[in-house]
Amino acid sequence: MMTPVQQVVMAVIQITVLISIILLIVPVMTFAERKVIGYIQVRLGATRQAGGIRGFAAGINKLSWAMGRIPILSFFRGLPVFAADGLKLLLKEDIVPDRADRFVFVIAPVVCMIPAFATFAVICFYPGTLFVFPDQFPIVGGLPFTGFLTDINVGLLYIMAVGSIGVYGIVLGGWASNSKYPLLGGLRSAAQIISYEIPLSLSLLAAVVLSGTLNFRELSVYLAGVPTVTAAGDVVQMPLIAAVPLFFGFFFYLTCGFAETNRVPFDLAEAETELVSGFHTEYTGMKFAWFMLAEYANMMAVSAIAAGFFLGGHYLLPFGLQRFVPDGIPFLAEPSLLFFFGKVFFLLFVFLWVRATLPRYRYDQLMSVGWKWLIPVTLINLLIAAAIRFAF
Amino acid sequence: MSILKKLLPIDIASGMKLTGKYFGRNFLQANRSKKHVHITVEYPETPISIAPRYRGRLQMLRDEQGEIKCVCCLACEKICPTQVITINKGKKEGRKTPYPTRYDFEMERCIFCEFCVESCGFDSIILNHQFELAAYNREDFSIGMHGEYQDMFRVSPVGQYSISSSASPDAPDYTQ
Repeated sequence: MMTPVQQVVMAVIQITVLISIILLIVPVMTFAERKVIGYIQVRLGATRQAGGIRGFAAGINKLSWAMGRIPILSFFRGLPVFAADGLKLLLKEDIVPDRADRFVFVIAPVVCMIPAFATFAVICFYPGTLFVFPDQFPIVGGLPFTGFLTDINVGLLYIMAVGSIGVYGIVLGGWASNSKYPLLGGLRSAAQIISYEIPLSLSLLAAVVLSGTLNFRELSVYLAGVPTVTAAGDVVQMPLIAAVPLFFGFFFYLTCGFAETNRVPFDLAEAETELVSGFHTEYTGMKFAWFMLAEYANMMAVSAIAAGFFLGGHYLLPFGLQRFVPDGIPFLAEPSLLFFFGKVFFLLFVFLWVRATLPRYRYDQLMSVGWKWLIPVTLINLLIAAAIRFAF
Repeated sequence: MSILKKLLPIDIASGMKLTGKYFGRNFLQANRSKKHVHITVEYPETPISIAPRYRGRLQMLRDEQGEIKCVCCLACEKICPTQVITINKGKKEGRKTPYPTRYDFEMERCIFCEFCVESCGFDSIILNHQFELAAYNREDFSIGMHGEYQDMFRVSPVGQYSISSSASPDAPDYTQ
């Protein structure tokens, strides 16, 4: 049993690792966004820095050009751009508009960012111990490093509750800017997220009804279709027919996830053709960077939840089809961190892919899609899941 | 049927298929292979292909013996709408036709209309394919027959600030 000191130290270590992984993936995502959208638009994306013939930037450009000759490295040619992006955001002047509500203006990006990161507290990356600290470590020696931060039995409820706090940051930021475009963007975002929270919850409820638990780890293991042993000692396994509501639920959840994270085609909160830049029009420097960080962290959270619930989590096959993988196979039949992160990265790619493909919805179309179509079909999906649960 | 069409995102799927196809193609061939799919050009490092009828800078030609083809008929000087060409007639030993002792071309006023080339009856001048014509000084645009940067016969007296490979000695020949 762990002492309180050990618990605190272990929590700090795990949180540090998790946060650094998120903070590492976010800038890589901004770089990947340039490159992926570039490739889709039949160009190369970022390949060089702006700069003269001589000097530091020219040296980096020469290096980038040389990297182009090496097969794998050629994809990373514009990598200095994202370092320059981060540096630019750090060094930029921090402008607060005249007669803006200063306190709310400063607090809004933080309100937006904290829930985005807090969501990861219950997400289970691996259902067990990743490694055990060797005994030589002073405090944590011999303790297991688990693939999840916490294993609470209301994990999904926590995700839903914390995830919907983030919109307050957007609304407050829009209101505190003392400008009409941010205000409109914030209001749009509020209405959009209220509308899409319902089908999002309903599509996740289908998974909850099938598995009968709110615990993220138990949910993902059960929905992957592998036989699990309950606390009572019974062996339970998801019926194969349950793959149908899971399959449709995945697409419903992904659609609502796009709306929740304010991404294209539902990025009405920052519709740049109508509202300059939406809720973060007046934000500069690091405050703007926090909004960006929150958006990308939210994308990661949505991807992780979709991967854990619908795509089989840390197992190989999605939608509960893992049962068809025989037990004997060494790597494919076992849960792995690689599978989970592979699915997360694929879904992050889907975010960029959709952004390069679909145009933005009109506001009334957005509302009609949410209320007239997504809520009925997710309800039907939930009914099917409940019927399967009742029958089998 | 219409409900089915609304429920199933067929149009979205076809759009995603199209963009996915382009992504795959460009992603696999982005490694600067000989045959690249992307339509943009990495200009300063790679030479770009120029259309055959591109009108670049005015250039004088020599014949097979290295003699200047121009015979000072002054047709180009007369037809030039902006009067950027100035020719002085002269004589040279062992040459029957007149010889230009001075052929000045002031590029800052040139409109690249190619009338001079069309009016020339001896095919002695062309507009070459040089497109990097920027310079820092106005004097650099005055091009003639004498001086280091005053060469009417070579490519690029003013393209000296170019960082592209056309400024290098083994640059592609723009006079083709």
